[in-house]
Amino acid sequence: MNGKDHALVVESTERLLDVLRDRLDLKGVKEGCGTGDCGTCTVIMDGRLVNSCLVLAVQARDKKITTIEGVGTREKLHPVQKALMKYGAAQCGFCTPAMVLAGKNLVDHNPSPSKEEIKEAISGVLCRCTGYYKIIDAIHDAAKEISEVRS
Amino acid sequence: MDLSGLSELRYVKREDGEIKIGALTTIGDLERQVDNSAWGRFLNDVITKFGSPNIRSLATIGGNICAASSSEDLIPVFLALDAKVKTLRKSGTREMPLQEFLVAKRKTALHADEILVEVSFPEPSARAACSFQKLGMRNILIIALVSVAVFLDTDDSRSNITQARIALNRLKGKIPQRVKSVEKGLLDKRLDEHAIKSAVERLGEELTLTSDFRASSEYRCEAVKVLLRRALVDCQQNILKK
Repeated sequence: MNGKDHALVVESTERLLDVLRDRLDLKGVKEGCGTGDCGTCTVIMDGRLVNSCLVLAVQARDKKITTIEGVGTREKLHPVQKALMKYGAAQCGFCTPAMVLAGKNLVDHNPSPSKEEIKEAISGVLCRCTGYYKIIDAIHDAAKEISEVRS
Repeated sequence: MDLSGLSELRYVKREDGEIKIGALTTIGDLERQVDNSAWGRFLNDVITKFGSPNIRSLATIGGNICAASSSEDLIPVFLALDAKVKTLRKSGTREMPLQEFLVAKRKTALHADEILVEVSFPEPSARAACSFQKLGMRNILIIALVSVAVFLDTDDSRSNITQARIALNRLKGKIPQRVKSVEKGLLDKRLDEHAIKSAVERLGEELTLTSDFRASSEYRCEAVKVLLRRALVDCQQNILKK
């Protein structure tokens, strides 16, 4: 979990979402619909985006999980986070942790995504404030910055 | 009971002239493994309209088939590919055509102590053309108002149709099925405007599609004809391109 091992005894019916929020105190993981539609509870599990409301905690055994708490710090933000700020790509902020994770996971797998690929990558996370365009532009910008730093 | 730890049921392989897909293969696994062949693009067409990337990380091929829902998109595609399924229980394995496995809406041929282990289909010839068309209110995270899957194969000179399988979902009270009378009408014909037109007309005569709060039966019956036309035109272009 964000680079640390956790040993927990969980109920067979406990959702990963609840274990993250209530037992590991990772409140950056948000619950929206709780039925796999909105994507607000997105985390990265073994390099893939998943809705943590649809994953039972036991299914996360031995898996590598990244939540927003494992992405950047206040002092050292991830390029996707910085770009979202620069573009004003957050309003209420409820979907933002999931958007950051979707953007980060995309640029981890695909360092120079097209805008279409960005749309596809964030399509599982609903945002009801921004109209998406600022988010798409921000992730595009962040990817460019990351590739420039790498080269 | 959670089967997701059975990693031996997570595979896509080519073997004995067939494509075999393990039941626990996720939609995302499949997305990363399909190639640019006719069947690969066919599956890719349904995958890119399937849920969202988040959902594709978790949803499995077996789970979708066993849900046997009337709105299922993968089932028409597998029916068009002439798929069969393999099941496993203590007393042994069974194999049967996918259509036989799907007994009724939300009901499969599985016994209480049996699991689905594989779906497979004959590897289509290089002449085959396929098309999947889905109508929804959005591009992503959307249940199909109606979907059509078409598989066609032609003779060596790529002129006459030798095999045709057309399957669709949203049939009233039913699981996705093939429309055999429409398929029959296409056999031994060239896929020209006349053949497309008569296939679309014949489909219109046949169908009763479901009515619900998303769309009326009347709307779906009109829309499905447009989808079939698009699918056949798509196949026509694929055949011509080769």
